[in-house]
Amino acid sequence: MARSTARQFRFGRAQLEARDGETVLAALARRGWPSLARSVRYHRPRGPMCGVGDCTGCLVRVNGVPNVRACQRRVHDGDVVRTENSWPSPRFDLLGLLDLVLPHGVDTVRGLRRPSWAAPLYQRVGRRLAGFGAAPDRSASAGPAPHSSRTVEVVVVGAGRSGRAVAQELVRAGAQPLVVDRHAPGAADATGELEGVERLASTTVAILSPAARGSAERFVLAGADAEGGGLLVRARRVVLATGAYDGALVFEGSDRPGVVTADLALSPLGLPLGGTVVVGGGTRACEVVRRLGTEVEAVVAFGEVAPELARVASELDIPLYPRSRVLRSVGRGHLRALEVGRRDGGGSFRLACRSVVLAHRRLPNAQLAFQAGARRRWLDAPGAYYPEVDEQGRTGVPGLTVVGSAAVPSGAPRAPEARVAAAVLGPESEPGPPAADPSPRPGEIVPYYRELLREPRHGKWVLCPCEDVLLEELETGVARGYRGMELGMRYTGVGTGLCQGRYCLPEAIVLIALLEGRAPSDVGFVTQRPPLVPTALATLAGLRDELAAEGSP
Amino acid sequence: MTVRRADYRCVVVGAGILGLYTAYHLASAGERDVLVVDRGRLSAGGSGRNGGGIRQQWETRSTIRLAREAVRAYRNFAREFGHNVWFRQGGYLFLAGTPGELERLGRVRDAGRAEGLPVRLLGVDEVEQLVEGLAPGACVGGCYLRTDGTLYPYPAVWGLYEAVRALGVEVALGVEALGVRRGEQGKLAEVVTSAGSVRATTVVNAAGGWSGEFSRRCGLEVPNVASRHEILATEPMKPFLEPMVVRVSDGLYVSQSMRGELVGGLTVPHPPGTEAGVPSSPRFLATMASALVGLLPRLARLGVLRAWAGFYDDTPDGLPVIGEDPRLPGFVHANGFGGHGFMLAPSASRRVASAVLGEPLDLDPREFSPARFLGPGAAPTVERLQLG
Repeated sequence: MARSTARQFRFGRAQLEARDGETVLAALARRGWPSLARSVRYHRPRGPMCGVGDCTGCLVRVNGVPNVRACQRRVHDGDVVRTENSWPSPRFDLLGLLDLVLPHGVDTVRGLRRPSWAAPLYQRVGRRLAGFGAAPDRSASAGPAPHSSRTVEVVVVGAGRSGRAVAQELVRAGAQPLVVDRHAPGAADATGELEGVERLASTTVAILSPAARGSAERFVLAGADAEGGGLLVRARRVVLATGAYDGALVFEGSDRPGVVTADLALSPLGLPLGGTVVVGGGTRACEVVRRLGTEVEAVVAFGEVAPELARVASELDIPLYPRSRVLRSVGRGHLRALEVGRRDGGGSFRLACRSVVLAHRRLPNAQLAFQAGARRRWLDAPGAYYPEVDEQGRTGVPGLTVVGSAAVPSGAPRAPEARVAAAVLGPESEPGPPAADPSPRPGEIVPYYRELLREPRHGKWVLCPCEDVLLEELETGVARGYRGMELGMRYTGVGTGLCQGRYCLPEAIVLIALLEGRAPSDVGFVTQRPPLVPTALATLAGLRDELAAEGSP
Repeated sequence: MTVRRADYRCVVVGAGILGLYTAYHLASAGERDVLVVDRGRLSAGGSGRNGGGIRQQWETRSTIRLAREAVRAYRNFAREFGHNVWFRQGGYLFLAGTPGELERLGRVRDAGRAEGLPVRLLGVDEVEQLVEGLAPGACVGGCYLRTDGTLYPYPAVWGLYEAVRALGVEVALGVEALGVRRGEQGKLAEVVTSAGSVRATTVVNAAGGWSGEFSRRCGLEVPNVASRHEILATEPMKPFLEPMVVRVSDGLYVSQSMRGELVGGLTVPHPPGTEAGVPSSPRFLATMASALVGLLPRLARLGVLRAWAGFYDDTPDGLPVIGEDPRLPGFVHANGFGGHGFMLAPSASRRVASAVLGEPLDLDPREFSPARFLGPGAAPTVERLQLG
């Protein structure tokens, strides 16, 4: 890369350089694994986990604005980047002592009441420990952001494999779809596949709402581009091809830096993952092993290891640990080893490693469909709510179609895109009967957590890394009679953090169900409300006049 | 869902803050023969959907007195009920945008002062000291009381829920009250629920947004109207805003919760009634964001995390309805709080309990009695400072 395209930025006291178009995290990763922050309540070390802009492991302060995701923020010349919520540094943080003196955390509902004269003190201290970054600097003041608005017949959200294929079939059928994609154009774009299709890259749709009654367009979509500029799309038909993501796993110290999801391992961020334990025995784990090659030290699977993964691992001489469970992360700060136990009895053992890649569970990005009112159905494998769709991906919401891995689990049969496109454009009729459960095999995650809950536990099992909610708190809530997902969320705060519950709610629903002795599909779920991702006040303010015209949904 | 018995002294409709507090006062006074029914789960209605604001600045003496009593109760809540409501007395600051609004706040100040509350009118400089980064020209002055504050609503409901059950009150969640049957002399005889009919001598309508609906199901025409209001919460941040800030002109209110999130709303009109449920509207998100950026431009890049909605239970004169309905002996109202149920619940519910027990009320009947809406001289529509 030519020197002229390099970007200079400051990180703490260091003056660093980033390549053109590089994100803050990628630029930092070239110097080693970055320590970026401490968690809110107990000041536990935090590090990048998902690499796709959803978790809260890489939040930094950029030019006086808190809570910026370093993995998504492209470096601009002269950026001033600072770490948050630690003193003197994320690596050595004085308040990290809290984690040691409170091995079981604090009960904010019923604890902290005595002596009563101390209540104001608890309140002041508690308030300071909450929050993450400081409020934005005055210098970051702004007015409403500019926006663009569009009215189209069909909009496709997501330009992954399914989104591209459906968009292409829509073009073939004579339509002119608008494609909106959260990510920057990737390698696949060089193929010219989506030629002639209008596409907005690096743009996240955060709101999918029914339009005002009587409007010719049924849906209003609102979102933001990478610079916070607003986008408003009015559309008659919406195709969601929002894909899937890799879920988290709860174990002792699962929030430790170095524990990452397969999304991060497969991203182009270039974090040093050397010496990796891969968790998962299926195709996703196989993908990770193929990418990381000999850097993988071991593969740990809950059940049997798929033949393909076994073959790839044996070629690379990587040991396999089937029928195992993850017990504990070991290290001071960054991960140094993973403690693993056999599920069929026998003791536990340690695997020395620098990172753990979670590739055991692929979950649907279906939140927008639920926001728009699509019905949900629970699928045991992988253990998640999916939108209820018919064979062509049609939901019960007229004009709303969901395709690809947002609609069905990976590996399940999918409708040919030409048929999906025809159904999207065709005369509108009621959707057909829901497609049969595409993965009738039994799920892995429920029995896995059931076994873990029976074991004695030590240390902190952080269920929600954004708000430092512990598994113990969920147990306490259930034991006191606050049952179901909705009350579980309110009692513990799980699902209310900056990741919008993406990494805790899928675990919480299974755990609540097990604690209550019910099926996960019986404990309900939280209402999906806009916005899907944190959306800047300025962006929404810029859309005021457009959205003021929208009546009540 | 079922209820245990077929006979109760009192059935309370609604397991929100008003209903549970009423049951608590009844049980504390020795009346434990109480059934509380709610068609939803705990905190599914307004008690789980409000912004947690607790203020004592009002225009009328009686509401000021109820509010002062409520503040004392919330200060003691953790001790009394064993649950932290994190009541933080960071003050309430009303902002006036015009001299006319400031004059109005002057009357609020006078009313508070007359009751011995140190309410103060603030100049622009003082307002700017209280709210860091206020947009220039955002106000011409304000009205402030330091002992007002905010709390975290859920634990209040949980604390009461556990307390009333410990006192022997039955709380049946998932049971909907459908209506009543009259007995001799037109008195209340039975409450019809989705779990069957139960005999009762009194029924308390503390159904919040659904109270108008329930009264009408019982054959009582009431002026209560359910109106949908929305709230948003931003990303959490370190302490930045001490008081709850309320703007008189458009009803914008915003405070910083114990968790660090800014929580606030403003009124965006929706069609009245509960039929549409409580969806969030993009219109509210954009209107509220625009108002916030206008007020506090330094927050422009702060992200909105989530939004939700709930129902206010509005009355034409902006005052709650407390007391027995003269048309149906045994039917006691505890509704019409217009978005201030949480604020006034500890003290208002005490009067509701008195009404159930047939004790005299220390309230001016012209202000709170359901009778004020009946007859030819019915209470007029009054516009009040219904904010925050």
